[in-house]
Amino acid sequence: MKLRGWLLGRVGGALATILMVLLLNFVLFRLMPGSPDRALARNPRVSAEAIAAARVRWGLDKPLFPDQLVAYVGATLSGDFGYSVKYGGREVTSVIGEKIAPTLLIVGLGEIIALAAGIALGAWTGWRRGKFGDRVGTLSALILYSMPYFWLGMLLVTLFATTLGWLPTSGISTPGGPGGVAGIVDLLRHAALPIATIALGLIGQYAILLRSSVAEALREGYVLTARAKGLRDDRILRGHILPNALLPTVTLAALNAGYVIGGALTVEIVFSWPGLGLLTQEALQSRDYPVLQGIFLLLAISVVVANLLADLLYSRLDPRVRHGAAR
Amino acid sequence: MSGNVKLSVGGRILNRVSGGNLLLLLLRRWDARVALAILTLLALSGIAPGLFVGPLQTATTAEAAPLLPPSGVHLFGTDDLGRDLLNLTVHGARISLVVGALSAVITLLLGGGIGMIAGYRGGRADALLMRIADTFLILPTFVLALILAPILRELIGDQTEILGIRTTLLTIVAVIGITSWSSTARIVRSQTLSLRERTFVERARLVGLSPMRIIARHIFPNIRTVLVANGIVVIAGSILTESTLSFIGLGDPFQPSWGTILGNAQSAAAPSLGAWWFIMAPGGAILFTVIACTIVGNAIDELLDRDVRVRR
Repeated sequence: MKLRGWLLGRVGGALATILMVLLLNFVLFRLMPGSPDRALARNPRVSAEAIAAARVRWGLDKPLFPDQLVAYVGATLSGDFGYSVKYGGREVTSVIGEKIAPTLLIVGLGEIIALAAGIALGAWTGWRRGKFGDRVGTLSALILYSMPYFWLGMLLVTLFATTLGWLPTSGISTPGGPGGVAGIVDLLRHAALPIATIALGLIGQYAILLRSSVAEALREGYVLTARAKGLRDDRILRGHILPNALLPTVTLAALNAGYVIGGALTVEIVFSWPGLGLLTQEALQSRDYPVLQGIFLLLAISVVVANLLADLLYSRLDPRVRHGAAR
Repeated sequence: MSGNVKLSVGGRILNRVSGGNLLLLLLRRWDARVALAILTLLALSGIAPGLFVGPLQTATTAEAAPLLPPSGVHLFGTDDLGRDLLNLTVHGARISLVVGALSAVITLLLGGGIGMIAGYRGGRADALLMRIADTFLILPTFVLALILAPILRELIGDQTEILGIRTTLLTIVAVIGITSWSSTARIVRSQTLSLRERTFVERARLVGLSPMRIIARHIFPNIRTVLVANGIVVIAGSILTESTLSFIGLGDPFQPSWGTILGNAQSAAAPSLGAWWFIMAPGGAILFTVIACTIVGNAIDELLDRDVRVRR
């Protein structure tokens, strides 16, 4: 019963957030310079009657609330995100749809690698806190954390693609390249640097956070008990410290999803990687607001869902959370 | 979330460490000394870039050949238009730092105000405000900023200047403020929650002071130090966000920041031409600024923690 109430609260919270995003998007849509009546009003040759007719056609003569809002939310929920300005009136959903997979590939792999490496680095430096290895590890984490993603990407291109010539500088595949297995290798060679950029950009904060939770856990009584039992160091770290210290990092990874995506968008620009980031820049340059809003809505919903999943995962990992919250 | 969280928030209540005091304490630590020295140097070049490198070079005033590697004449090399990168980077300091600092001020005003009201009022107002804050905390606010900036620019118009800052940059300031206040609001709220229960606030309430007066006279002075510590981190974040927005192309070509220069480097294909110097100077400036801010922020945090521990 308690658990069910807690679950309902979490799902309700997520739904409320999505509703707020829709509301925000609606307000933006009304502020937008591209809004039909505004665009028409600026043209002196369009008569007042024509503008009024357009307003009726677009439903703009009805009150903002509830009519227009309801119409907007209804259309959005049924998958109608409007039409792209730049891509000759194609539906926004189809313009965005084909860019999702490339972005998911580099963000997903980058995030996984960053989590694994960040946890390893954080556990290592936390265990050795105050020693030389810790100082070096923490300083590197701080430096990585302070770099803008796109700058890191530009440095990697200059070093590994241009100077050393190990990997291609940009794009997702070699034009007219091979298919089959060789094609996949080609894709991975193109994806390597974007993934590395995202992973390196993220490692810093995971490592810094895990280091402090490990250092804190080291002071706990159960670690002393484990030592007294004569357990080896790696068993203490793996069996006793990490399960407790990992929790804040899990939360951060989810909370960060929105931030990561923002960074990943710029990485795509550096590598001309044909995903949502490159699309965002193009849409920005041609003031293609429907596409921009569609991207924002898609990313916002993904982030909210990611957070909900992290909450559920967190409560599986740590029973204290759900009991504490339901009390 | 609810109003019954009293002193259990673990909020640190800080009022002993004041401004001048804090600076002296900071100067005792070597890492903070180095960081403050870097920030001072950057601030000086931001205040008077002309003193160090002369007026900002433009496409018409640039004299050197394009994409020259660093040499005795051009310490940091030249860009694709033959402009001296040292000149651009020093002038960029002014834009990056001013936009970063102004955005931080807006963020702190919004976050501090909302946090204090939510924490002091409690109840429904608190629940609603924190719901909004949480939404902003998890949303991809950077994408929101990308949409908001051109809309605001269209509404305000971008051909004018206010106090020597072009409105394109002011829209960036506004957008960063609107999208990044939420973590400050959370921190300030938890401080306010614990302050609210203290006797001196209770006494002020009994005497009959209005909530606004209590917030201004009794709550605000006690969270000032927390705002300073948070402010340093917020400045670093704002500078990073500004550089990213400018990199994507929302900056002002007439008042280039470090991010704008890096955006130019990207459009000039500097990475694939191997022109590392085009990337090094402006990016290094961002990196040093953000690291220095982070170090100072951490140092203040540690000082405040110790301050509390000593008094307990």
